[in-house]
Amino acid sequence: MTTATSKRLPSPWGRLRARARDHRSLTILAGWAIVASVLPVIVMIPPLSTFQPESLWIDGFANAGVFILLAMGLNVVVGLAGLLDLGYAAFFAIGSYAYAFGASPFTNLQIPFWPMLLVGAVVAATLGILLGAPTLRLRGDYLAIVTLGFGEIVPAVFLNASAFTKGTNGIGGIYKPELFGFQFTLENPVPYYVAMVGVLAITMVFLYRLQGSRLGRAWMAIREDELAAASSGINTITTKLLAFALGASTAGLAGVFATSKLTFVGPGQFGFQVSFTVLAMVVLGGMGNIWGVATGAFVIYTIQAVLLKELNQFFAVLHVPILQSIDFVQYQYLLYGVALVAMMLLRPEGLFPSSRRRQELHATSDDVADVPPPTEALGA
Amino acid sequence: MKYGKLGALGAGALLVFSACSGTTATAAPGTSTAPGGSSAVAAGAWCVGGTVKIGTELPMSGGETANGAPTANGVKLAIKQQNAKGGVAGCKLDINVQDDALNGVHDPQTGAKNMQTLVADAAVMGVVGPFNSGVAKAEIPISNGAGLLMCSPANTNNGVTQPPEGDTYRKTNPTKISYIRTASPDSIQGPSAADYLYKDLGKTSVYIIDDTETFGVGVGDTFQAEFKKLGGNVVKRDSAPKSTTDYTPLFTAAAALNPQGVYLAGTTPTGMGLALKQGRTVSGLETVPFVGPDGVADLGPGGTQGATITIAGAASHDVYGTVGSAHDLADNTFTAAYTTEFGGAPGAYSAAAYACAQIIIASLDKASATATDLASAREGVRANAVNSANTFATVLGSLNFDKYGDNVHPFISFYKVDMTLAGGKGDWTFVKQESFSDPNAQ
Amino acid sequence: MTVDFRRVIRPVAIGTIALLTEYALLGTQQFANALTLGAIYALIALGYTMVYGIVELINFAHGDIFMVGSFLAMWIMTTVLGLSGPVTNLLNLVGLLSIVMFATMVGMGFIGMFIERFAYRPLRHAPRLAPLITAIGVSFILQNIISSLFGPSPVNVPQIVPLDKFAFMGGKIGYLNVFMVVLAVVLMIALQLFVGRTRLGRAMRSTAQDREAAELMGVDINQTIAITFFIAAALAGAGGVIQGLYFGSIKFDLGFFVGLKAFTAAVLGGIGNTTGAAIGGFIIAFVEVYATVLGYTQWSEVAVFTVLILVLVFRPSGLLGQQLGERA
Repeated sequence: MTTATSKRLPSPWGRLRARARDHRSLTILAGWAIVASVLPVIVMIPPLSTFQPESLWIDGFANAGVFILLAMGLNVVVGLAGLLDLGYAAFFAIGSYAYAFGASPFTNLQIPFWPMLLVGAVVAATLGILLGAPTLRLRGDYLAIVTLGFGEIVPAVFLNASAFTKGTNGIGGIYKPELFGFQFTLENPVPYYVAMVGVLAITMVFLYRLQGSRLGRAWMAIREDELAAASSGINTITTKLLAFALGASTAGLAGVFATSKLTFVGPGQFGFQVSFTVLAMVVLGGMGNIWGVATGAFVIYTIQAVLLKELNQFFAVLHVPILQSIDFVQYQYLLYGVALVAMMLLRPEGLFPSSRRRQELHATSDDVADVPPPTEALGA
Repeated sequence: MKYGKLGALGAGALLVFSACSGTTATAAPGTSTAPGGSSAVAAGAWCVGGTVKIGTELPMSGGETANGAPTANGVKLAIKQQNAKGGVAGCKLDINVQDDALNGVHDPQTGAKNMQTLVADAAVMGVVGPFNSGVAKAEIPISNGAGLLMCSPANTNNGVTQPPEGDTYRKTNPTKISYIRTASPDSIQGPSAADYLYKDLGKTSVYIIDDTETFGVGVGDTFQAEFKKLGGNVVKRDSAPKSTTDYTPLFTAAAALNPQGVYLAGTTPTGMGLALKQGRTVSGLETVPFVGPDGVADLGPGGTQGATITIAGAASHDVYGTVGSAHDLADNTFTAAYTTEFGGAPGAYSAAAYACAQIIIASLDKASATATDLASAREGVRANAVNSANTFATVLGSLNFDKYGDNVHPFISFYKVDMTLAGGKGDWTFVKQESFSDPNAQ
Repeated sequence: MTVDFRRVIRPVAIGTIALLTEYALLGTQQFANALTLGAIYALIALGYTMVYGIVELINFAHGDIFMVGSFLAMWIMTTVLGLSGPVTNLLNLVGLLSIVMFATMVGMGFIGMFIERFAYRPLRHAPRLAPLITAIGVSFILQNIISSLFGPSPVNVPQIVPLDKFAFMGGKIGYLNVFMVVLAVVLMIALQLFVGRTRLGRAMRSTAQDREAAELMGVDINQTIAITFFIAAALAGAGGVIQGLYFGSIKFDLGFFVGLKAFTAAVLGGIGNTTGAAIGGFIIAFVEVYATVLGYTQWSEVAVFTVLILVLVFRPSGLLGQQLGERA
C-alpha cells in the first residue's frame, strides 16, 4: 500500500509495515500474542457467547491448534514443495502413539511432555524420511497414491500389532503435561491453550524463517519447475526429502499434543478422513501462505466443531420445514467436496493465497515467460 | 457394546427379581407409583430455572446415525413421559444432545469435547452414552474429574470399568465412580455363547471370525478362551476389518477344516451380516449353526432396514444369538410408546437408553430431597446411581451397579432365528435365559 | 507376419504364469474366488488406466463411480423392474440381465462424461495438483449424494442369478462366478477390439500419444476424451452390477477401498496399458485371497498397499507398461 508520497513521508502504518518486514519473527510472536489474548475476549461477545461458555471456546481453540499445526505442516509439503501427500494422518498417528508409548501406564514409562514433543517430532520425521527416500523420485500423482497407501498402512499396523499397541482397544490413561510442578488437568483448558499458542508461535516463526531461506526458495523452485531447479544446482531429492521430513515432524508434534490432551489413543482416530480434512484446510486456506492455511484450518475446524451444530439447533428452532430437516453436520463432507471442486475451478489459489502461488495457478499459456508451462508445473 | 433390539421389552417394568438389599428407587413411567406423579409439586430451590437436563453423547451423523439417533430417542421418550407427570419433584426435564461423530465416524476427540460441554452445562444431571468403548475411554477421565454420571447403553469392553485398565481412567477420583453401564461385559457374553454352542448344541469345533473392532475382538477372545477350556477345538480364528466386502475366501479356507459351528464376533453394521450371508453359501457350511453376540442378534425381524436377517436373507436359518439382558418382559408398552412417538420401531439400543434415563430420573428423584443447588443435585444423582444398595426398576428389568459400575446381576438371553416367522422372512425367537453373578465380586 | 513380442507374447506369458501360480497356490475353490474378485478389480482398473493414459489424471473418483454403478443397478432392478429374488427361467434371466447391464453401463457412461465435462475439462491446462484435488472433491460429492439418497447402512441387492453350483476339479463353482469372469473377459476383449480396430479407438490412441499432433491431424480432442470417460465409467458400471449380484449388499463407501485396490492393479499392470490393468486386477485379487488363505486377512490391505509401493519404487512402469522415464 506504500505509495510514492508515503515513501517520502512514511505514515505510521507504513512505518509499522516496514518494521514488521525487518523483524519478521518478532512480528509473528507479537501477532500470536495479540490473537491469543483477543480470542478469549471475542467469544464473550454475543452471539458467540450464547453458543457455549468461554471455557469450552478455549478448549476448542486448543483443539483447533492441533489442526492448525497439521495444516501448517502439510503446507510445507503441498504448498511449498508441491508434493501431494494424501496420507498425512499417518504421521499424526505416529506422533500420537509415540507419546502414548513414552507416557502411559501401558509401557510404565513417564517421560515428561516437553521432551516428548521433540521425540514425537523426530520419530515422525524419521518415518517420513524412510517413506520418502524411495518414493520421492516418483511423479507427483504417483506420490499422492503412495502416501495414500501409507496412510492406510500405518493405522492398520497400529490396529493389528496388538501385542505392542493394545490393538483396537487403544491405549488409555495417558499422562497429562506438567510444567515446573504445575499439573495440567482436564477440568481447566487454559494451560493447554497457552501451551498450544506457544507451540504454534514457535513453529510459525521457524517455518517463516525456513520459507525465506535458501531451502525454502529451493522448495518453491522445485514446485514451479523441477527440471529447471535441478539444472540450477538444487539437489531435488534431498530438498524434497527435507520438506517431507519437516511436514512429518510437525504432524508428530500435533500428535503428541493432541494425545496428551485426550489421554487416549486408538487406531480408529487416524482414518483418511483426517488426511483429507487437513488437505481441505490447506487448499481452502491458500496453499503456500502460512497465515492463510492457519486461518483456513482455524475457520474450518470452528465451523465443523461449533457452527454446523449451532446451525442445526438454529434451524430446529425456526421451524422452517426444509431447513429443519437438513442435518448440516451430515452434509459436512458434501460441503467439503463442493468447496474443493468450486475452489479448484474458480479460485485455485485458495481464500488467502500467497502472491507467488496465485500467479502460478492463474498462469495461461501466454504467461510462459513468467512461469513454466502449466502442465509441467507440479512435480510432473 | 451392544444391546439387542429389545423391542419386546415393556415400559411398565416390574421387578424381575426382588431387590437384594437397600432401597428400591422406582422410576418406571407409566406406572402409578412413579415419583413426581403429582404435577402440583413445586420445584425445589435446587432446581434453578425450573428445568434440568439429561445429556446424550452418541454418534448422531454420517454412517453411524443409525446407531445414535434411535438411542437418543429412547432418552427423549423417557423425558417426555416424565414431564407429562410433572417432571421430577416438580422440576421439568430437558435434553442436551451431543454428537461424537466427526466426518461420520465416532471420534474419541469429539467425544471428549462433548463431555466437556456437558460438564460445563450445570443443568445436566447425568449423561446417557457413549456408544463406543473407545470414546468412553477418552470421556471417563473427564466425567470422573467433574463428578458427572455417565450411563452407557451399549459399552461392553471389559477394560472400560474393570481393573487394572479401568483404574487408569479414574485417576482423578479413584473411589468416585462416575460411569455405569447396562450391558453385560464381554467377559460374560462371549463365554455364555461358547457354553451354548458346546453344551446345548453339542458342537465340539468352531470357526471364529471377528470384525477387528473393540467389541468384536473382546467378545471373540472371551468366546475362544471358554470354548477351549470346555475342551472344544477352535479350528481357525480370523479378523476381517469392516471394509471387507468379500468374505468368501475366508469361509472357504475355514470350511476346509470342517468346523461344526461358526462364531460371528462382531456386529452386523461392521460386516458380520455380510459374513453370514456369504459364509452360508460356502460348501460345507450350508447347515452348521452360526452364533453371534447381540451385535448380530439385533432381534429385528426380516424386512427391517439394516437388520441381520434382512441383510443375510435366506442364509439366516440355524442362526443363534446372545443378548446381554433379561428377556422376561412380555409387556409391549415401550415398543408401542416408542412407535407412536417416533413413527418407527425402536433401534437396537433404544430400550437400554430408556433404562439409563430411568436410572438418572430415579436417582434425581432421590437426590432432590437433600439437594440445595444444581451441583449438589448432580453429585446426588451420581452417588445414588452408583450406590450398589440402590436397585432400579427399568425397562430392562431391575438393575444395580457394583463398585466399578457394572451391573451386579448380569443376564444373558439366548435367541434363535425361526424362518417361518414374519411372513417367511424370519424372526428371532426366545430360547432361554441365564443369570450370572457379579463379574467383579471378590 | 511376425508376432509382436511386446504386445502379444509378453502379456500372454505373464498372464499364463500368474494364473498357473495362483492355481497352484490356491487350489480350485479359492482360485475361483480369486478369479471372481479379480474380474471386478480388472473392470475398474481398466477405467483408471484408460483415463490416465489419455489425460494423465488419476481419476480419484473412479472407485465411487463404480459404487454409483452398483446403486444404479440396484435401483433399476428393484424400482424399475420390480425384482426381488432369483429368476429361474433362463430366458427371462438373460433378458433381464442384459437390460440391467445395458442400462447401467449407458447410465454410468453419461455420468462419467458429465463429470469430465464440468469438473475436469476446465482444468485440463491447470497444474496437475488442481484436477487431482477436484477428483477428491467429486469423490466426496458422489458418496454423500448416494448416502443421502439410499441411507448410510448397507442396501440389499436382489440376487437375480441363482446361487447354484456345479462340481468342477475337486471344487464347487457357482454359475454366477463363471458368468462374472466370462463377462469381464468379453468386455475386455471388446475394449481391445474397439481401441485397436476402430476409428475412435485410433483417435484415442493418438490423443494419448501426442495431443497436439492428434489435434493437428483433425482428431476432436474434447470428443475423444469424453468418449474415454464414457467407456471407463461404463466398465465401472458393469463392475458395479456384478458386485451387487455376487455379494447381494452394497454400501455408499464401498468405492474407496475397492477403487484403491483397482488403482493398485492398474499401476501393477503398467498404467496406460489395458491388458496390464486386467492382469493386475487378477494379481491383486490373488494377493488378497492368498493373505486370507495364510490366515492374515487383517493384513491383506497392508499387503496390497505394500505391493503398490514396491511396484512404484522398483518398477514404476509396471509389469507391461512402457518406461515412463525417471523424471520425478
